[in-house]
Amino acid sequence: MESVNAAATMPALAAGRPTFASVAEAELDAVHAYLLFLTGDRSVAEDVAGETFEKAFRLWRRFDPRRGTARAWLCSIARSAALDHLRAEERRRRRELRYARETRTVDEPSWGDGAAAAALRKLAPADREVVALRVVLELDGPTTARILGISRTACSTRLSRALQRLEELMTDGDV
Amino acid sequence: MATFEAELARELRALPIDAPDELRERVRALGEPNPRRRIPRVAWRRATLVLVPACVSVLLAAAVVHGIVSSHATKHTSASASVVEAGHPASGAGGATRTNPSDSLAPSVSVFGEANKTFAPLPTPNRHQDYQADLRVRVDDLDALGRRTAQAMQIVRSLGGYVASVSQSSANGQPGEADLVLRVPVAHVDDALIRLSALGTVLEQHVSIVDLENTVTQQRRQVRALKLQILRLTAALGQPLPADVRLRLQFQLDDARRNLAAATGASRATLREAALSRVALSLTTERPAAATHDRGRVGAAVSDAFHFLAGAGAIALAALIVLVPIALLILLVWWGIRAFRRRAADRLLAAS
Repeated sequence: MESVNAAATMPALAAGRPTFASVAEAELDAVHAYLLFLTGDRSVAEDVAGETFEKAFRLWRRFDPRRGTARAWLCSIARSAALDHLRAEERRRRRELRYARETRTVDEPSWGDGAAAAALRKLAPADREVVALRVVLELDGPTTARILGISRTACSTRLSRALQRLEELMTDGDV
Repeated sequence: MATFEAELARELRALPIDAPDELRERVRALGEPNPRRRIPRVAWRRATLVLVPACVSVLLAAAVVHGIVSSHATKHTSASASVVEAGHPASGAGGATRTNPSDSLAPSVSVFGEANKTFAPLPTPNRHQDYQADLRVRVDDLDALGRRTAQAMQIVRSLGGYVASVSQSSANGQPGEADLVLRVPVAHVDDALIRLSALGTVLEQHVSIVDLENTVTQQRRQVRALKLQILRLTAALGQPLPADVRLRLQFQLDDARRNLAAATGASRATLREAALSRVALSLTTERPAAATHDRGRVGAAVSDAFHFLAGAGAIALAALIVLVPIALLILLVWWGIRAFRRRAADRLLAAS
């Protein structure tokens, strides 16, 4: 996870417009972590991360470092791709109405067997998403709010609620 | 809470969340995007700061050019019309012309009143022409009406003409009117028109010129022919002739003499008509319906420019009236779709 934190203060990003390859190398772990928290599924996160970088590759000329960091820009693309994926999944589940919920299983544990991992499994994707952006990726409040498409206040409230829920789940003996 | 957050962050980052090597290789394989042609980015604030003043400047320049061109075109049209009318009498036989200053020159200027200037057609010297002019002149009040009527009669007499008829009327609440029919020697008609138009403000004028040269020539030819016929008949009657022949020639001579008298009378009447012009002068005290004033070229240009700007403003306003509801509708639809998608995404992510 060192690469995730180091990328946030990458000198190349601050110096000007970096190359796509350097940004992809630096931000891949962060984007993957974010998608993993958002989807709760390692294989889905991997697919969507790949899709995210392909899309970013196509849209690279639109990236403007003056308007935000590469991490925030990639997370916006990742969120859009993840939502598209989730919508498609939702439609698929509706089509397979009778046994969709039963067949929807996670192929492999996403976060391991620790208390934090078990608590994350119980969190809603929206809560996991804000925790990932603010705590794991260390994005600031305004950037996170912009990625989520909500106000700063709503973002702060959502984070506070998610952390409180996470704390409850981790300290709860049932976890 | 801060301690918990720090501990939580450490724990969460310790989770196996790094990207797998397969994904890393897949992303590396993308490489670097081809550098595309650099399209200059439009800075909207800067562009607005430049474009808005530029558009306003272009609009103002267009208005000024339109005003100048329009006023120049109007002046040119008026001037050329006057020239054409004034030069017409030199045309061939049977030609007639009429002028009306209210048609060609919008302001009611005294066309004849300007010193030594006349914009009306004048009779051609050395040609016989029937010259008729109608002149309507406004005077200040009823007292002036009487004085100007007398002055008009005096002017005509001083030029060797006479007053064919005069009628003057005035009633309470009605404008005073004086109608004069004046006969003025053609040689002095221009002088007469200038002096008559100086009696007040010319409201209207009509000039009619009918060339009589052909008529006079034909009448003279007829008179000469009749005289020649009479001479021949008289000479024949001086010879010894049979009684019946003498009687027939005598009848022919009498007819020729009657025809000669008629032709001579007609010729004299034509010459008299050509020698004296007929000027119908109407003096009135009526006020103009709408006061007009000479704005001058600059005033006309400014007015035209303002009309241009008003037209452009009207078009812009109409476009705004049509486009604003459409833009609002599009904005509303866009906002609705965005809100719907956001709520749908929230519902989707809220499901645990």
